[in-house]
Amino acid sequence: MSPTRFASEHKWVYVGAIVVLVALAIIGVIQYESVKSTNEAAEKANKLADAAEDAGYPRPDTEVIERSLGTDGGIVCEDPATALRSALWKINVSNGAAFVGQRPVIGDTKALRAEAKILEIYCPDKLDKFKDRLDDLKTDDTVRRDA
Amino acid sequence: MASMDVPADMPKRAQTAQAAAVRATPAPVLTWVTLALMTTASVASLRAAPTMAVYGLACVFLYLVPAIVFLLPTALVSAELASGWNGGVYRWVSEGLSKPLGFLAVWCQFAMTIFYYPSLLAFVASTIAYVIDPSLASNGLYTAIVIMVLYWTGVWVSSRGTKALAGLSSWGLIIGTLVPGTILVVLGIVFLGQGNPSAAPMTADHLLPQWTGLASLVLIVNNFLSYSGMEMNAVHVSSLKDPAKEYPKSMFLAMGLVLLIFILPALAISWVVPADQTSLTAGVMQAFNAFFSYFHIGWMTPIAAVMLVAASLGGMLTWLAGPSKGLLEISRSEGYLPPYLQKLNKYGIQQNILVTQGLVTTVIALMYALIPNVSSVYWIFSTITTQVYLIVYLLMFAAAVRLRKTQPDHPRGYRVPALRLICTVGLLSSLAALAIGFVPPSQFGGSSVLSYVLFIGGGLVVLGLLIPYAFLKFRKPGWRSAEAAAGEGSAS
Repeated sequence: MSPTRFASEHKWVYVGAIVVLVALAIIGVIQYESVKSTNEAAEKANKLADAAEDAGYPRPDTEVIERSLGTDGGIVCEDPATALRSALWKINVSNGAAFVGQRPVIGDTKALRAEAKILEIYCPDKLDKFKDRLDDLKTDDTVRRDA
Repeated sequence: MASMDVPADMPKRAQTAQAAAVRATPAPVLTWVTLALMTTASVASLRAAPTMAVYGLACVFLYLVPAIVFLLPTALVSAELASGWNGGVYRWVSEGLSKPLGFLAVWCQFAMTIFYYPSLLAFVASTIAYVIDPSLASNGLYTAIVIMVLYWTGVWVSSRGTKALAGLSSWGLIIGTLVPGTILVVLGIVFLGQGNPSAAPMTADHLLPQWTGLASLVLIVNNFLSYSGMEMNAVHVSSLKDPAKEYPKSMFLAMGLVLLIFILPALAISWVVPADQTSLTAGVMQAFNAFFSYFHIGWMTPIAAVMLVAASLGGMLTWLAGPSKGLLEISRSEGYLPPYLQKLNKYGIQQNILVTQGLVTTVIALMYALIPNVSSVYWIFSTITTQVYLIVYLLMFAAAVRLRKTQPDHPRGYRVPALRLICTVGLLSSLAALAIGFVPPSQFGGSSVLSYVLFIGGGLVVLGLLIPYAFLKFRKPGWRSAEAAAGEGSAS
């Protein structure tokens, strides 16, 4: 098969892939709601920053929290305890593999509980179910933190 | 490929016609750089970066130690074997140990992917949902449809030939991993350059991960498996112009890229996003959102999501094509699979194996997406499949040692220095990973350890031993391809 024939045979596969990905990216950027800074968002971001500080972390930038979580918690508050969402994060409590070597590990207690704090502030109605799922996990302190 | 065209029981004229059709399609030529990109696409992506960023500077240790004891042996040994023998792991194990063990090796490499695709594609579906409507990520029907469409599109692309998928997977790596990875690292350096303190401490005493006994051991040893798949694309070695010289070069480039992709972006995220905001449970996109939000370019998050999708699908393509090709080749020469599964399409691709694999994957994926009890425990299959994959490495290292002993003068384009030592390290690492696979992870909670061991052990035995044994037991002499049978006949 000549290179020209090969290129023409597979051209539409490449063009199709590019069109779909570019379309998705455009839709994504349009959909992405740049969260306006409101008093409510600022207040919730401050609460979360306080909680992080109380837990022994350096105080995070509240503007960053405002932009990423807004007033409703964004993706973090999107049905966190459903079976499919749980299945995804359970698979994410894993080693550093990106493909077939991905394997569950014993996750870090604080890292796994981090989302609970966000839910508590941004969508407390979803906290109990999520906590039930977390309580089923066996965890340990595998992340080194400053004393 | 062209030398083993048709099963022995086909009519002579049909055999000739099919053989001629396949021979009319010359083997596609890959460059060593393309093969390196395919190998990297099979192993590394940014998907793991937020997970590892939680460990801060210790992620360097968590990637480097496994690189020394597992990546290096795997890459070097497969470089030597591929530079001496075409065909990939089935051929190496067949030549070094025995043909049934060669079949076992490629079967294990192939079978584990069947359970892997649903979780990979569910991740892709959730990432696409993040782009268009995050609430879709909880919708079983949406997840099922996305998995089906993407998987079967992947089968269709793979069935169009090695070069089609080589191009797509290479571009998937470039667009989906190398470009966004570079952006993450550059932004991370800008962050530090602006005088900001790193969110994760970067002092020498944070280089080692926290030691908590078994949990830390599980984390470190399980990370060996981060490099699984480095040898998988060796099945395409005959597509290189000069395999003996080019494959080792391709392997070394892939090794460097994999290390950079794993370590640098994870570090960059840990500089900018505090560990308490890199929620393991909220997913990869939440961490990227927090990262980009710092730089006031939150709109980059959906673009990064699309890039991740491209990388994941590119990686999936390499996994669809590689193990199934190895399975085909040994089955045609030894008759381990029925003739229907040995047939090739006009591009010389094992389309019927891909379709059959697709039907099984479809059933598993539909169960994953639509039955909550299945998705809740699906993580168990990740452990079983990685256990099964470790059998491949045990066989590969054993075969490499034996081949050096039994065929020392066989021409090899590259010879590993201290092969026996390197293989011993690789074998011990694989055994350690196999043993640690029986330790229950977080997801198993406080349930009985014995039941976990029995479940994982049972899965390992059924998927990795009983099923391939059944294929060997029930094979028929007529299943061998005509040319393989004729080749043996003329030799005897």
